[in-house]
Amino acid sequence: MPDTQALVMTFLTSLKNATARQTAELLRSVISQQRVPYTNQAGALIDAVKAVGEQLIAANPVELAVGNIVRRVLHIIREEDLSLTTAAIGELNLSAVSDDENDDDRDGNTTLSAAAVAAAARSTLRPPSLQTLLEDTPVSAAVPQTSSSGAADKSSRSRKLKHDVIEAVNELIQDIVTCHEQIAEQAVEHIHQNEVILTLGSSRTVSEFLFAAKEKKRSFRVFVAEGAPRYQGHLLAKELVARGLQTTLITDSAVFAMISRVNMVIVGAHAVMANGGVIAPVGMNLVALAAQKHAVPFVVLAGSHKLCPLYPHNPEVLLNELRSPSELLDFGEFSDCMDFGSGSGSPLLHVVNPAFDYVPPKLVSLFITDAGGHNPSYMYRLIADYYSADDLVVQRRAIAGN
Amino acid sequence: MQFDDQGRVNKSKKRAVFNQPEAKNRVELFRHLPQYEHGSQLTDLESKFLELDSMHPAVYKVGVQYLAGDVTGGNARCIAMLRAFQEVINDYSTPPGKTLVRDLTAKISSYVSFLIECRPLSMSMGNAIRFQKSRIAKLPLTLSETEAKAALCNDIDRFINEKIILADKVIVRHAATKVRDGDVLLTYGSSCVVEMILLYAHELGKQFRVVVVDSRPKHEGQALLRRLLAKGLSCTYTHINAVSYIMHEVTRVFLGASSVLSNGTTYSRVGTACVAMVAHAFRVPVLICCEAYKFHERVQLDSICSNELGDSNDIARVPGRPDVNSMDNRTNEKNLQFLNLMYDATPSEYVSMIITDYGMIPPTSVPVIVREYRREYLLI
Repeated sequence: MPDTQALVMTFLTSLKNATARQTAELLRSVISQQRVPYTNQAGALIDAVKAVGEQLIAANPVELAVGNIVRRVLHIIREEDLSLTTAAIGELNLSAVSDDENDDDRDGNTTLSAAAVAAAARSTLRPPSLQTLLEDTPVSAAVPQTSSSGAADKSSRSRKLKHDVIEAVNELIQDIVTCHEQIAEQAVEHIHQNEVILTLGSSRTVSEFLFAAKEKKRSFRVFVAEGAPRYQGHLLAKELVARGLQTTLITDSAVFAMISRVNMVIVGAHAVMANGGVIAPVGMNLVALAAQKHAVPFVVLAGSHKLCPLYPHNPEVLLNELRSPSELLDFGEFSDCMDFGSGSGSPLLHVVNPAFDYVPPKLVSLFITDAGGHNPSYMYRLIADYYSADDLVVQRRAIAGN
Repeated sequence: MQFDDQGRVNKSKKRAVFNQPEAKNRVELFRHLPQYEHGSQLTDLESKFLELDSMHPAVYKVGVQYLAGDVTGGNARCIAMLRAFQEVINDYSTPPGKTLVRDLTAKISSYVSFLIECRPLSMSMGNAIRFQKSRIAKLPLTLSETEAKAALCNDIDRFINEKIILADKVIVRHAATKVRDGDVLLTYGSSCVVEMILLYAHELGKQFRVVVVDSRPKHEGQALLRRLLAKGLSCTYTHINAVSYIMHEVTRVFLGASSVLSNGTTYSRVGTACVAMVAHAFRVPVLICCEAYKFHERVQLDSICSNELGDSNDIARVPGRPDVNSMDNRTNEKNLQFLNLMYDATPSEYVSMIITDYGMIPPTSVPVIVREYRREYLLI
């Protein structure tokens, strides 16, 4: 499919600004352009999505949201396939009962042969038993060709699968886009009058959250820590002041000094891991430790597309990314010390500039997602809602004799 | 002095040597501390140079150095001030009709209030001034003027020598025993004592690495980094947000202090508390290196009741980042305040040990030293 490949390539080159939404849109076009065979449509779609997903994840492993969306789409495909199959089986039972009815009046979709339905059910409804694993025969081979009325029905059935999947992906995109509003609706429950809130860096979810509380006439003050070396805190402070909130900008080193006078810490996250741990912009662990010491609630706002089914100890998860030292030091002043060519061949000076921080789940008081508020110990249950166990490792299995 | 009391503020303004406009957007929590607009102070003071005939030029010079930020660090400021006082005493002559003791004390007090206007006193300076005044008050009345002046200058020399220079040497000896081969030592900001420790341990031939942690707005760690690299130590440089990332490979943390208070709280550069807290969370020992003359009998629980506020423009402006600096013209916006704290208070439970010239003590022993060894001042 040259079209999708070209799309994927342009996407990869712009992966720096990739968001979950763009990934979902890309996968939607991949699905719509994928030609599916008559049987085992779900398998073909899953393979196609896995192929593209592998490339996306390999391009920027730190961007966990991309992997999340790939896995969400795979889960959607499996679910849609499952619901279609159960509907077909349900109608098959009906058809078995009313065998003497007039066939022509019936809906084209339901006239599937029992064997085909049984084969499909074997692949989706039952978990892989030892027998099917040992057989290792592709399911399509076991399905006998159905009789005449099959052709039109199968294409309509495959179209129905793709159609359902694309509708579900559209819903997913809609969820991603509106997650800020749904989280912000819960703001009034958590912010009371005359409160003092601390945040670090800048996050759109956090600013929407605070604006929503301001709309509801809660008066509160905000301390913003500037979040070196990206200094996003300055931008957030600008936005908050423009909306009329009392804001004080402090350096990151003053967080411990000021946190004793703070009622609540509200921050955004880059990703939420399955154990409830948070991957957040660098400096967040400092704030979380200080909040724990002073018994200040540490609230993390995250859309459900940021929930990653992997654990931090998984080898695929890159917890961090090191950025350029020039953000910390001027190259001109220290260039002789950082040079590999000087002296004994190893530089005297190393500069460490990580982009992310890992906050363990015991430091987090509450997660607020678009599905409501949760404890860190509950996050692993949400994974079952959004992801399938087969998709945790996004890799195409090599098919024997291919 | 309480700066939220308007009457007192007005009185002190009348006595002020140069005028300082107060900052417009003051943070509510810190109304009890002075906060001034820093832009015009230095030029104002320089223009007043020829008008200040009551001011000794040495004291004036030290004041300007404080205001410009050329002299920073507890020890450096204390030594600069005491040397200026030595010159004052040398040039002093008792006016007719007055006693040396009372007049000299009054002069010193006026110089001290000038220095306070330039920059609030550090604890080390406060203790040195108290020592100085007690020495003046204890002068026997039988001494002639020249003998009295010589005795006072001698006392200042002894104070600087014993309490600062020799004390630093003792601290360095003690601390070097805590550095082993293969250690990774972390330090924050720039402390002269910690620098001496690292250089001494390097001279002894110990193999170790240094991690220098730095923060805005002063970036004091960069100066320390340069000096360490010049001597050939291998260093890692990072900023304070990355402390959690780097702490897992650190074996010891050495920090300096502006003062240690009687409840064991360490009062030092802002950010020290963050570093000590993360070290404690990772079970890394934290060693505070502080001379005993900096101990104080005050107690403090948090960093807000007593602190120093710096220039808020330092926070608003980020050098080298034009995309962020569009904030700069907003320093006068009503809803927006910038907070530039200079110090913070580290709770004693984060500190494993304090290395002083009296030995290596736990934080709980600080009030003991303050009580038992204060009398030593009187015995000099």
